[in-house]
Amino acid sequence: MDTEAASPEMSRRDLLSLIGATAGAAAMYQAMSTLGFAADSPYRGPIDLTGAPSGASVLILGAGMAGMTAAYELRNAGYKVQVLEYNARPGGRNWTLRGGDRYVELGGAAQECNFDKDLYINPGPWRIPYHHRGMLNYCKKLGVPLEAFVQVNYNAYLHSSRAFGGRPQRYREIKADYQGHIAELLAKATRQNALDASVSKEDQEKLLESLRAWGALDKSFSYVASESASDRRGFKKKPGGGLTARPIPSEPIGLTDILKSNLWQGIPSGDTFDMQTALFQPVGGMGRVGEAFGRELGPMISYNAKVIDIRQETTGVTATYEDANSPGTRMTAKADWCLCTIPLPILAQIPMNVGPAMASAIAAVPYASAIKVGLQFKRRFWEEDDHIYGGITYTDLPIMNIAYPSTGYHSGGKGVLLGAYMWGLNAMELTAMTPQERVQKVVEYGSQIHPQYREEFDNGIAVAWHRAPFTMGCFGMWSAAARAKHYDDLCRIDGRIALAGEHASFLGGWQEGAVTSSLDAVGRLHERAVAQGEKS
Amino acid sequence: MKPPAVGLARRCRSIALLAALLGAGAHADDSSSISTGDLGKVGGAEIYSRICQGCHMPGARGAVGAGHYPRLAGDPALASWQYVALTVLNGRNGMPAFGLVSDAVGPMRAVHLSDAQVADVVNYVRSNFGNRFKAGITAKQVTALPHPDAEISP
Repeated sequence: MDTEAASPEMSRRDLLSLIGATAGAAAMYQAMSTLGFAADSPYRGPIDLTGAPSGASVLILGAGMAGMTAAYELRNAGYKVQVLEYNARPGGRNWTLRGGDRYVELGGAAQECNFDKDLYINPGPWRIPYHHRGMLNYCKKLGVPLEAFVQVNYNAYLHSSRAFGGRPQRYREIKADYQGHIAELLAKATRQNALDASVSKEDQEKLLESLRAWGALDKSFSYVASESASDRRGFKKKPGGGLTARPIPSEPIGLTDILKSNLWQGIPSGDTFDMQTALFQPVGGMGRVGEAFGRELGPMISYNAKVIDIRQETTGVTATYEDANSPGTRMTAKADWCLCTIPLPILAQIPMNVGPAMASAIAAVPYASAIKVGLQFKRRFWEEDDHIYGGITYTDLPIMNIAYPSTGYHSGGKGVLLGAYMWGLNAMELTAMTPQERVQKVVEYGSQIHPQYREEFDNGIAVAWHRAPFTMGCFGMWSAAARAKHYDDLCRIDGRIALAGEHASFLGGWQEGAVTSSLDAVGRLHERAVAQGEKS
Repeated sequence: MKPPAVGLARRCRSIALLAALLGAGAHADDSSSISTGDLGKVGGAEIYSRICQGCHMPGARGAVGAGHYPRLAGDPALASWQYVALTVLNGRNGMPAFGLVSDAVGPMRAVHLSDAQVADVVNYVRSNFGNRFKAGITAKQVTALPHPDAEISP
């Protein structure tokens, strides 16, 4: 990944080590990810599947984004397609919980969603970056309207329970002050000739000029209370109109306080490639995509179908399945080819005669623990009191995120926000609790940031992904070692069986990973089908 | 096989690794401070109730959906303490590994248990929920078992 060539000018690496020396290794890592090492979606426009042998058939296991993408394209190409889905609905992790919905998790705990009309949470994916062209393409084709998803909100909070007396800080202020102080430091180093070895004299002038603009420095390259700094971080008294119009600049937070607070960790939240503006969400919830796919595919999908055996022979593939509502009733589905999108923790438990390479790959990927909790409040206090419209607050509390709805602004009545989006230890610990305990914990934590929680809380619903009966985890966590050893084996066709899903992608947890892995696998299955010619 | 002290070169590698994980294999999660940490020094009963029962359920009764979480109460596989300890250390199928070296814990969104804690939770599960195996496994015995890859190649 170190591809920069040596350069007499200040190189990217020099800048990185300078930031590393100034603000520590973690900041350097943040800077590295800011500079971007990500790959674009491999989506290359509509797939060409012309020449499907007449009568050829494909059995698809799973009606999530991967399975339904494949079903849609293969059907259009002339294949006979059948889809088996464990849930009673299409979408898989593409899923929205709305008022009136009921969700029963593994272990049997049932939750009713008591949100008001039009209010929802997306327990799974909730945003589509502008470069996830596969997802955007299907939204367009299926007529799913989109609206802007607010990722970065300068007026949302960065919060540390161990800094600033536990008071949340506005993103705007932390970002402006961090940037201003770093610019001042770099300007000082430049003017003290500390960079002479790495930046030419001519470029130093430009660097200084750019630092002043970037950091909102004053004419002596200092970051101080001023109109230019307040234009970034906000004013003590905002400019207005009339006799009370005169603005009063605000006082920046000192560099030491910012560094000690660790709040700088939250600054690049919108800088990573996947989180860059513009991002979208389907109007009415992410589940609208799965629902639209489901309508489009209609009777091709058999619901409540629990696959219990997958067997391939030289002539085709047979899946045995049960009606999930009446175990013991066995049925079979048969086709020439099979695209299996069943999440790996479940697939690993289903007997399937594939070779040892694919079988080892299926068993090599642990699934991430994650939790989302939706909270309904009696009013939209985050807008009314705190002037936060969409976006995300980041905190070191176990809830990690509070995300405000990017829709329905200023609507009267109740409002729903995402009260927690948790990973790792915190998620595991809350998974081990009852849904009611999870909601209660999340309300307790969140009230440290928004004290209004205590008065305004109405009801909540908690989805712990390791308790989801249809995935047993949130998404595949590939270690680099497992990826090197098993990834290709997971993606290669074994006889008549191909796998697809976010687990067969480099876009862990993203729907675009499911879509692009599906199109990739479908393309290769199609090649084999064509090579075999007319159905024997 | 305690994780060795992390040297500077190792630390640099893990920064590169983090970037690689979030760059080449971007994840859909979103957090400024992922708390992976460890559980402190808590023992087997608490590890079970705070972590294991998320999947294996209170009372170790397991659960069934599209797949299943094994019922550990009365599970004959528990006869082999090595099988149980290796499962906790290295994971199994979708189950995460709890014996990762410290620099792998964060990128894998995992949780680290010490060898003593692994021994403790293995003893707890094998001698509770109606299971009647001897609870004498020691940290030293766990240390002698294979742990997840210490080196993570980029």
